[in-house]
Amino acid sequence: MEKYYEKELLEELHDIQETYGFISEEDILRISEKRDIPKAHLYGVISFYSMFHLKPTGKYIIKVCDSVSCSLNHSADIVKVIKEHLGIGENETTRDKKFSLEVVECLGHCDEGPVMIINDTYYTHLTTNKVVQILDNLD
Amino acid sequence: MKVKINNKEYEFQEELSILDAVKKAHIIIPTLCYSEKLKPFGSCRLCSVEIKGERTLKPACVTKISNGMEIYTHSEKVRKVRSTIMELIIASHGISCNLNCLTCSKSASCEIKVIAEEIGIMEVRVPPISSRVPEDRSSYSIVREPQKCIVCDRCVRKCAEVQSVNILTIANRGPDTYVTTFLDKGMGNVDCVNCGQCVIECPTGALHEVYQTDQVWNVISDNSKYVIVQTAPAVRVAIAEEFGAEPGRIVTKQLVTGLRLLGFDKVFDTNFSADLTIMEEASEFLERFKNGGKLPLFTSCSPGWIKFIEHNYPEFLDNLSTCKSPQQMFGAIAKTYYADKIGIPREDMIVVSIMPCTAKKYERVRPEMKGDVDYVLTTRELAKMFKLAGIDLLNLPSEEYDEPLGITTGAAAIFGATGGVMEAALRTAYEVITGKTLERLDFESVRGIEGIKEAVIEIDGLKLNVAVVNGLGNARKMLDMIKNGEKDYHFIEFMACPGGCIGGGGQPIPTTKEILSKRMKAIYEIDKSFEIRKSHENPAIQALYKEFLGEPLSEKSHELLHTTYIARS
Ligand code: SF4
Ligand code: SF4
Ligand code: SF4
Ligand code: FES
Ligand code: FES
Repeated sequence: MEKYYEKELLEELHDIQETYGFISEEDILRISEKRDIPKAHLYGVISFYSMFHLKPTGKYIIKVCDSVSCSLNHSADIVKVIKEHLGIGENETTRDKKFSLEVVECLGHCDEGPVMIINDTYYTHLTTNKVVQILDNLD
Repeated sequence: MKVKINNKEYEFQEELSILDAVKKAHIIIPTLCYSEKLKPFGSCRLCSVEIKGERTLKPACVTKISNGMEIYTHSEKVRKVRSTIMELIIASHGISCNLNCLTCSKSASCEIKVIAEEIGIMEVRVPPISSRVPEDRSSYSIVREPQKCIVCDRCVRKCAEVQSVNILTIANRGPDTYVTTFLDKGMGNVDCVNCGQCVIECPTGALHEVYQTDQVWNVISDNSKYVIVQTAPAVRVAIAEEFGAEPGRIVTKQLVTGLRLLGFDKVFDTNFSADLTIMEEASEFLERFKNGGKLPLFTSCSPGWIKFIEHNYPEFLDNLSTCKSPQQMFGAIAKTYYADKIGIPREDMIVVSIMPCTAKKYERVRPEMKGDVDYVLTTRELAKMFKLAGIDLLNLPSEEYDEPLGITTGAAAIFGATGGVMEAALRTAYEVITGKTLERLDFESVRGIEGIKEAVIEIDGLKLNVAVVNGLGNARKMLDMIKNGEKDYHFIEFMACPGGCIGGGGQPIPTTKEILSKRMKAIYEIDKSFEIRKSHENPAIQALYKEFLGEPLSEKSHELLHTTYIARS
């Protein structure tokens, strides 16, 4: 699949992501036509990079790790409390477009778990109380 | 080039991959993501070998040999690494009590089981990881079970490289990598043509056809229904493989006996309606030819090909013959002419098809087909039913098809191989045009396994340019050439699957090139064994026209045997 990871394509995807906050189905179909790349493969490329989103996302994107270490440290509880507090599920966005929730693979802070990252900020050694506080303090 | 393999010296002329070189030395290296028809991918690493002087092991399928290379294929280091890789593959495969080999669609042809044995896996130290990706049951033809997928990418490459349809992709990365369709829409909601080539490529049970065996068991035992079955031409030369026979074994008459044992009320032959297709299609061709109708005429018996052209080349829809496929023609005649003839209410007549094809499952439900056929089973599904009923297919006595929808010709038999429809049509067209008897029945130039064949056929001074295409990648090439004005023909046969129906997505697994040519040889043997080898000489077909249809392209023919197409782009 390497041949589709051309710089030009990635730049175009990047522009769309930056401008609209996500890449829509119509965008993919248009690029597929223009660049003569099968749409399934484009989907593969887009899903490979975590910076691309296929749905509109909130102002804050919360990514909670559920890889081995974090999940031993009860990351599932963290996910649960976020879902309850915000009233959204995985890969969903709150009505007010403030928060989106994603569950992701290892964030590289395994000895400080459970771990989450909101936009560019890491939060480690999370507890359920701490998470609620963090979310409430963001505006 | 001199190369040492396991301390023994070999000489090779070409720059082979290590895998190919080692094969020539009769050493077996386990492979999973490698496949003879596809570009090597190098992802599973099972084929890793040790090369003297190299620090790390190298995958044999993507590494070329070089002069003086010393390769160790099964050293202790290699065996250890391979076994660890295999354990991880097994773990990612998530086999459990609910999801196990005993209930798996590929239990008889699974490559993982074979490799686990080759590597000698005795324990798996890693716990199973189960995939979060849900099953895909959106298609009428094919089911995807991602829990069993080992992400070898073979289905993705088969669909892209061989079929040029590009439905599947690998999405995400790292441990979350999975195989899916555009935006996870599911195979039934994208441009998939249901050819099933991905199914026969898959080394595991992650891809299989949508089973209808339960429904067929039920309907067979329902005494209020009159259940008849039709068998496609390619099934009789392949199903024996499911029972361990050498490829190419012909079991037509055992197949008939077996179907009777299962409890079908009548056992008929799709070859009957293949002869009927020739009557209609040859007439359609001659009419277009004489009256300046749309040419080249494209054949229409392969539903995978039909869906492909509907999605990708709608500008060519008028070139398609309006003939339904033989499967559908059979159902249409069985539920009218035959039902009336034997005095069974039309709505109590149930038609089951045995097909080498997964696309026929989708064709059955197309609204234009008006329920001609009720259930479609693949060759593999029928083999499963035989096994379940304790039927020892290979050793059954011979029986004949029922009349009249079981009376057929050699021309119909060859529909199962690429080039067969063309050849059968030419045999009939020749005699209709010239009014003379065709002496040499074998049109060798349209036979053979190549993807695109062309021939100029002379009929009474008339020159017909014909072509025969199999595999959708080749179909795409052909249509592009016609579009660009590089090629011009009168008549073209298209089949979605490589080799034609003998290589269909519902056929026994594996289907290799070698196996294909054996099945093909058997098809032409069957043709030779018939006294009548031209469709228009089939007495049952002649009677059908006389008693019911009138003549080819009559109003009744149009109503029952012809169809329409949809632009889907
Ligand atoms: S794919 Fe093979 S190993 Fe997996 S469950 Fe099926 S038979 Fe067993
Ligand atoms: S059935 Fe054919 S078209 Fe559909 S995904 Fe498989 S190979 Fe591709
Ligand atoms: S579905 Fe089958 S062929 Fe496709 S990647 Fe998975 S295991 Fe391989
Ligand atoms: S396991 Fe969570 S950060 Fe690595
Ligand atoms: S077979 Fe060589 S890497 Fe998979």
